[in-house]
Amino acid sequence: MSGSWKTYNPGTHYDELITTAKKPRTLAKHLVKLMQGLTTEEVSARRAAADLTIREMGVSFTVYSEGHNIDRAWPFDIIPRVISAREWRKVKQGLIQRSRALNLFIDDIYNRQKILADGLLPADIVLDSPNYKPQCKGISPRYKTWAHICGSDLVRNADGKFYVLEDNLRVPSGVSYMLENREITKRVLPELFENYSILPVSDYPSHLHSTLASLSPREQNRPSIVVLTPGIYNSAYFEHAFLAQSMGAELVEGSDLFVDEDDCVYMRTVDGPQRVDVIYRRIDDDYLDPEVFNESSKLGVPGIMRAWKAKNVAIANAPGAGIADDKVIYAYVPEMIRYYLKEKPLIASVETYLCLEEKNREYVLANLDKLVVKPANESGGYGLMVGPHASKAKRAEFAKLIEADPRNYIAQPTLSLSTAPTYIDDKVEPRHLDLRPFILQGKDAWVTPGGLTRVAMQKGSLVVNSSQGGGSKDTWIVEDSQ
Amino acid sequence: MTMLSRVADRLFWTARYLERAEDTARLTDAYTHMMMDIPKESAPGWDILVKILAAEPAYESNYRTYNEQNVLKFLIADLDNAGSVCHAVKAARENVRTTRDVLPQEAWELVNELYLYTQEFAEQSIGRRNRYQFLEEVIGRCREINGLLVSTLSRDHTYRFLQIGRLLERADMTTRIIDVGAAALLGEDRQPSLHKGTVDPLIWASLLRSLSAVGAYRREYGPSVEAKCMVDFVFRDANLPRSVKYCLNDIRTELLPLKNNKPALKLVDQARRSLSRFDPQTSSREELHRFIDKFQLKLMHLNATIDEQWLFQNNDD
Repeated sequence: MSGSWKTYNPGTHYDELITTAKKPRTLAKHLVKLMQGLTTEEVSARRAAADLTIREMGVSFTVYSEGHNIDRAWPFDIIPRVISAREWRKVKQGLIQRSRALNLFIDDIYNRQKILADGLLPADIVLDSPNYKPQCKGISPRYKTWAHICGSDLVRNADGKFYVLEDNLRVPSGVSYMLENREITKRVLPELFENYSILPVSDYPSHLHSTLASLSPREQNRPSIVVLTPGIYNSAYFEHAFLAQSMGAELVEGSDLFVDEDDCVYMRTVDGPQRVDVIYRRIDDDYLDPEVFNESSKLGVPGIMRAWKAKNVAIANAPGAGIADDKVIYAYVPEMIRYYLKEKPLIASVETYLCLEEKNREYVLANLDKLVVKPANESGGYGLMVGPHASKAKRAEFAKLIEADPRNYIAQPTLSLSTAPTYIDDKVEPRHLDLRPFILQGKDAWVTPGGLTRVAMQKGSLVVNSSQGGGSKDTWIVEDSQ
Repeated sequence: MTMLSRVADRLFWTARYLERAEDTARLTDAYTHMMMDIPKESAPGWDILVKILAAEPAYESNYRTYNEQNVLKFLIADLDNAGSVCHAVKAARENVRTTRDVLPQEAWELVNELYLYTQEFAEQSIGRRNRYQFLEEVIGRCREINGLLVSTLSRDHTYRFLQIGRLLERADMTTRIIDVGAAALLGEDRQPSLHKGTVDPLIWASLLRSLSAVGAYRREYGPSVEAKCMVDFVFRDANLPRSVKYCLNDIRTELLPLKNNKPALKLVDQARRSLSRFDPQTSSREELHRFIDKFQLKLMHLNATIDEQWLFQNNDD
């Protein structure tokens, strides 16, 4: 096993653990030394222990295309990713700043639309977006906060700097895997925790709980909080159950709730109806309320928008928050930070070419082999083209798509995503990864120390989404003074 | 505390299915042992196991003859049979999967492990060679899950609906186990046998064993197992945790703290009265069999009332 650590070569990419001189980074020294010291048998035994833990915990991920209810264990790599706490503090400030600006933007769009009047971004980009929900006009939730839970995807480029690749403001998932990954590492590599002071992640549910509680419309010691799930066949159902349980909240499905004539939301219990204060919903806007959105939805609660508008219930994330999640609007976030906060962006965005602008479109079409093209409103890595890896036919197909619907496409330079040593069969090989921290915003703001590191398990692949066969790693934020 | 009706429903069925898996395993195990003790020409058929579970239609749509191999496949591994060990475990797991948030974390892990175990070993455990070990393992794991729940859950609605489901299933299964004896011996009455009189106690003793009640019975009635005493014991003993009376008493206790419990309590009390009026000592096997049929209807009625009162989701209220 130690042999392949010696020949490990991340090439020109930034590697999270190993420098270009093929030495472990300062904070990774203990880790790499321990891993190098393990025999092939010991590594297999620990990987087997991790797999067993995952199986027993029932960590599973249902992929839509496999039909309903088929479990697939979420692939986990036992080598943790190490990030310095000093570096992380800066990232954290950048993420909080970004989240504040995004929330002020959403609140502005559904109210005065000052930013449009001032011409900072074209009104039709915002108002024609499928994520703009006119049903939310005139509402301003508590603290002017719409996206209470935000999962932003970060990548580290060849220059070693973190960039925000996208912001997920609708129903970001993955946080339970972050928590379980740490539990698995504690069981599988317990000796490492002696040499490192690693920031804990296990208090996420209590921070989520206080964020949600701070939204309650009634002044109560213990507001009634529920997690609204589409049900067992949703790919993230496991996470919904996990979060409800760890917050001591009820896990409800749409049919468990109803809105009474007083425009309040109630849940059906064995003791009769019980009032609900805060709904952490994990279903999309379109399915939330058949009276207002998709009328054939069986997942939602008829009348829930009425109750929300009457401020009888808080909904997190607020309906309509997805307007800032649009990949076209993403291009304007640095502007928003300057506009709303009068601050300089603390964390970089990736340069983005909007295909709806003619000059950009021409550039994109001429450089398809160098760019990543993304549809503006898909998540989960669906419908995406990585130019340098795409066939000629695929590039031609995307050229057509872009010309037919330029509003729906953006392009970005192909970033050189950082790598980290990952066990593939019995060998250690570099694999690309990203990082999804979670930003909570209620009365106060809070960011997970680290987040969920996703790994593209295919050699050379840049697609890390779990729905596309990605895996994950435990992520450590480690104090530098050791 | 809050208990969603939907969650109560799933807890109720989790417990029913787990109890069904365990009881089917116990019954199958005891019956196999009994068949090995009884001389071939006097042995009752394997069809009795299917009849007792009122599963003939499901059985006959998939199997032509009632031989050991078929019946055991049906009872252990057949996913089309709602009473099979595998189906019951799978259904329990589906219910736990959606109630993980109110159960101790280990509950999901244990039920999931039980599910993975039955998935892997059921098919190869139909034959006599592996059957015993498989059934023992299932029974043991069910005991472990029950032990976890009993020793960790707060005595709140979660515990209550699990208990009610478990006790209702258990009462039902205990009556069915007695019915095995009655049915096996009814058949024997019709055809005179050389071994009459020696077979009878073997059957009752094996049924008693399936209820883990041999020791308790001996302390009460002595070493030889007599039909009428045995029936009396497992129907009406107030201290035996698998007796019908005990189950009904405990259901009553669990119903008491629930709101709107009058209709359900009324049915429990009716069932308890009819149980105390029935005297196994003076009843014929025909009468016993007819009593059990009627009694099972009462339990079904009770189930329907519980369902309607607490578990059913009325969209208009």
